Amino acid sequence: MAGRFTRRAALTVPLSLFSARAFAFGDGAAFHPRLLRAGNHQPLGVRSSGAGRWSWELVRRTSAPARLVAAEVAADQPALQAEPFAIWAGDGDPGPLSAAEVRGLLRFMRLGGVLVVDDSNPASGAFGRGARRELARVLPESAPVRLDPGHVIFKTFYIVDRPVGRVLGPPEISAIVRGKNTQVIFLQHDLLGALARSGEGFALETEPGGLQQREHAVRLAVNIAMYVLCSDYKDDQVHAPFLMRRRARQKP
Amino acid sequence: MTFATLALAEGVPQLTLFAVLGLGLVSLGFLGFELRKREGAAVWVLLSGVLALLLVAAAVLRPARVNTRGVSVGAKVVVLVDGSRRLLLPSEGKTRRELALRAADAVSKHFAGARVTLRGFGTGELRPLVVADALAHTSPSELSDESDLSGALNALAQEPGERPKAVVVVSDGRLARPNAALDDASLRELSSALGAPIHTVAVTEQAPRDASIRSIRTSGATVAHQALALTIEIGCAGGLSCGDVPVTARELRQGVEPFVLAQGVAKMTGETATVELSITLDRAGARLVEVSIEPPEGDTIPENNTRILSFSVTRDRLRLLHVAGRPTYDVRALRMWLKSDESLDLIAFFILRTDDDNTETSEDSELALIPFPVDELFTEHLPSFDAVILQDIDAVTYKLLRHLPALANYVRGGGGLIMVGGPSAFAGGGYARSPLESVLPVELRVGEPPFDTADFVPRYTEAGRSAPVLRGLTELFADELPTFTGANTLGAARPNAITLWEHPDRRAGQRAMPVLALDEAGDGRSIALGVDGTHAFSFSEFAERAAGRAYGALWDGLVGWLMRDPRYEALRLELSGPCIAGLPAKVRLVRLPGVAGDVSLQLTRLGPRSEPVVTKNVKDPAPGPLELELGVLSTGGYSASARVGAAPPTRFDFACERGGPAWSDSRPDPERLARIAKQSGGRAVSSTQVSDLPVPDPIEVAAERSSVPLLPAWAWTLAASLALGGHWYARRRQGLL
Repeated sequence: MAGRFTRRAALTVPLSLFSARAFAFGDGAAFHPRLLRAGNHQPLGVRSSGAGRWSWELVRRTSAPARLVAAEVAADQPALQAEPFAIWAGDGDPGPLSAAEVRGLLRFMRLGGVLVVDDSNPASGAFGRGARRELARVLPESAPVRLDPGHVIFKTFYIVDRPVGRVLGPPEISAIVRGKNTQVIFLQHDLLGALARSGEGFALETEPGGLQQREHAVRLAVNIAMYVLCSDYKDDQVHAPFLMRRRARQKP
Repeated sequence: MTFATLALAEGVPQLTLFAVLGLGLVSLGFLGFELRKREGAAVWVLLSGVLALLLVAAAVLRPARVNTRGVSVGAKVVVLVDGSRRLLLPSEGKTRRELALRAADAVSKHFAGARVTLRGFGTGELRPLVVADALAHTSPSELSDESDLSGALNALAQEPGERPKAVVVVSDGRLARPNAALDDASLRELSSALGAPIHTVAVTEQAPRDASIRSIRTSGATVAHQALALTIEIGCAGGLSCGDVPVTARELRQGVEPFVLAQGVAKMTGETATVELSITLDRAGARLVEVSIEPPEGDTIPENNTRILSFSVTRDRLRLLHVAGRPTYDVRALRMWLKSDESLDLIAFFILRTDDDNTETSEDSELALIPFPVDELFTEHLPSFDAVILQDIDAVTYKLLRHLPALANYVRGGGGLIMVGGPSAFAGGGYARSPLESVLPVELRVGEPPFDTADFVPRYTEAGRSAPVLRGLTELFADELPTFTGANTLGAARPNAITLWEHPDRRAGQRAMPVLALDEAGDGRSIALGVDGTHAFSFSEFAERAAGRAYGALWDGLVGWLMRDPRYEALRLELSGPCIAGLPAKVRLVRLPGVAGDVSLQLTRLGPRSEPVVTKNVKDPAPGPLELELGVLSTGGYSASARVGAAPPTRFDFACERGGPAWSDSRPDPERLARIAKQSGGRAVSSTQVSDLPVPDPIEVAAERSSVPLLPAWAWTLAASLALGGHWYARRRQGLL
């Protein structure tokens, strides 16, 4: 991944992008990373700004419209079924979900929603384990599986070799796949942490660090957004020869 | 003529005769056994015994004298007259039909002593025929496409009652069955079931000077986008010199000139030549293909130089092109629905990056993006798609503008188009005043904001409520719709377009602004959907009430209607009978249950001119199938568009031919008639030699019969008693008791 990326470029993107792009009528069809509230309340702190940054990066880098103001949505509220995407993040065990939350998440999944489970503290892994345990109650018939490196999520916009976030984390992503759709994506990389903002800069340092890691985290976020918006578009046969040639160029 | 016979008395069953004979023989046996060693007077015992037996038998059977008076009647003769439309071919200044009827009349007169029945034969049942009536008026619609003599003879053999003593076939010999290749044994079988000779009368023996399309064969099923081989046999008869005959296959389409599918040349070395044309029909449904030849000078029958074939084109898979200007939840919903249908072959292109976007890399190898192949898609590949979905894509920015004329022609040529709303759709995408606007169901307004962002709930129109295209949706939610954020600014619906949803607040001229409208455009169909929020049917609190099924219900209907799926049509149209040029034609309308209202029908000729040739309106017709007279039509392809109430119209394409398959081979075949006659023991003659036909012998038929007993029953009984007494006396004398 030898991309041309500088700190200057990352920090001096004109704010005019917020308003210059003609979005869909209103914001109804635009990408919208909503923060899921389920189980024990876990304040996300500075990471909650990562959702807005996710949209911002998507709008800056791609043609996709996005809502820049993040929102919270409760698992037991009908609003969860209003849009097909949500992020469930935390750093500790979320505890048991209530029956209403299980029902709400089940309805969300049945409609085809996509949920990203982002462990803010991968070192302990408590949140990730707890989320898997609770989602097993929601979708008992669907166990998480490791996504193949050729999965479309790694090529929806950028060609991504491995997932990274604020931390390097494991080189793979596990997910719950129902039918042909990847519906729950488990990240052990603190993706929101990589996107979180504080003032004019990023709020949290990456580990082990470097601008490239941050850039790759952003690219993963963009790819996940594109997966939500286009599903498996990049798996279409028409893209196959191009992508094969590009991967070959990347790995001489 | 009178004659007499002996018979048993009436009421005595035949079985009694056998019983009496049996008992008599047994009695004689016993008597012989008793007398075997006796001599002299034993002969009196034997004689008296035999006499007694005979008289007892007579007393039981009571024989009677039957006097019969008979009459002689003519033999039954059936004259079968060829009832094929082929006999309308000209011959000797008349038609073969007229010659055949006059020959049949001559046969009737020749067989004046016989009982002659005239029947017409074609492909169906035998029909009674009255020569005078048929000569006065024969409607071609009463005639058949073919002459099936085998079927007619089988039907005759199976008729109850008296069998004919002779059958006379009057035809030109160009029979569908028995065909020319049938061997002699099979021909003999034809008459064996009848048990009568078949005489034949050839109405003409001279082939006209004619170049024609003898037959067109296809191999395999007709599947859209797949090549289909047409094997065309060209014939040249009557001494016409044909040489090279150009052959052209064209698809007849509405609103545009016929589209040339293939051309070839039949090189005539003998009487026939075969040319194979490979054609590809891109659109599914009923498609009309006209195959024509350029005949040489001197061709006397122009009607069989063109055939119009109706193909029911199926799809292997529906091939859709989905082009979206930016990825949104609306794009996602449509893509996921399209991909979930295995019967769809989806080719999708989404614009994921614009020139203004900063991807933070200059290395293409780090991006999974490919160039949008706009030129390739809209030139080379466009005909291969059954429908194109343009979703919120800017025609100017993405260089679609130069392809819009081709895209409009594609729709007029039978393709489907759905324009889905968004900021860059309709006028916002540069489509206003473009060639594509002319095939959209709505006008596009310029000089106004191309869209607004106000929340609104669309309203069903009357057409929307009754349209089968939205029935799936109305079954789930009645006439309730979700709230949409914003709508494209659309103009008024075009004159024949149907608005299904309209805006509750915004106006387009005097009427509410259309939100969802559909229309026919030439041979194709188009849909305008002026919102970018139908994903609300798939993912929203509203959608959750129907578990997300509403999205599929909406798009199943839209794509199904676009592709003329009969499930989404308000009625079914079909011809009441074959359409023969020059004769009145009728169509039959079958309305779907629940679809009511006035019926209107417009008939247009397929081709560039779209003025209706027939218009019909029926006010509130009674339920059930409805037949509409179309009047007399000329040769060609037609498109009938019928509408019930406010529901969208249904289209039905059909062809009218003058000769059709019946005229494809104009040569008479007297040799075949001669073979049929020979193998059945009959005689083959021409129409001027009817008097040479042998007349079968008359039949004697009993007319009066009387039965008189030889003696009264009491006399037989008395005689039998006396004979038995005599026999008893003779036995006593011989000491046999």
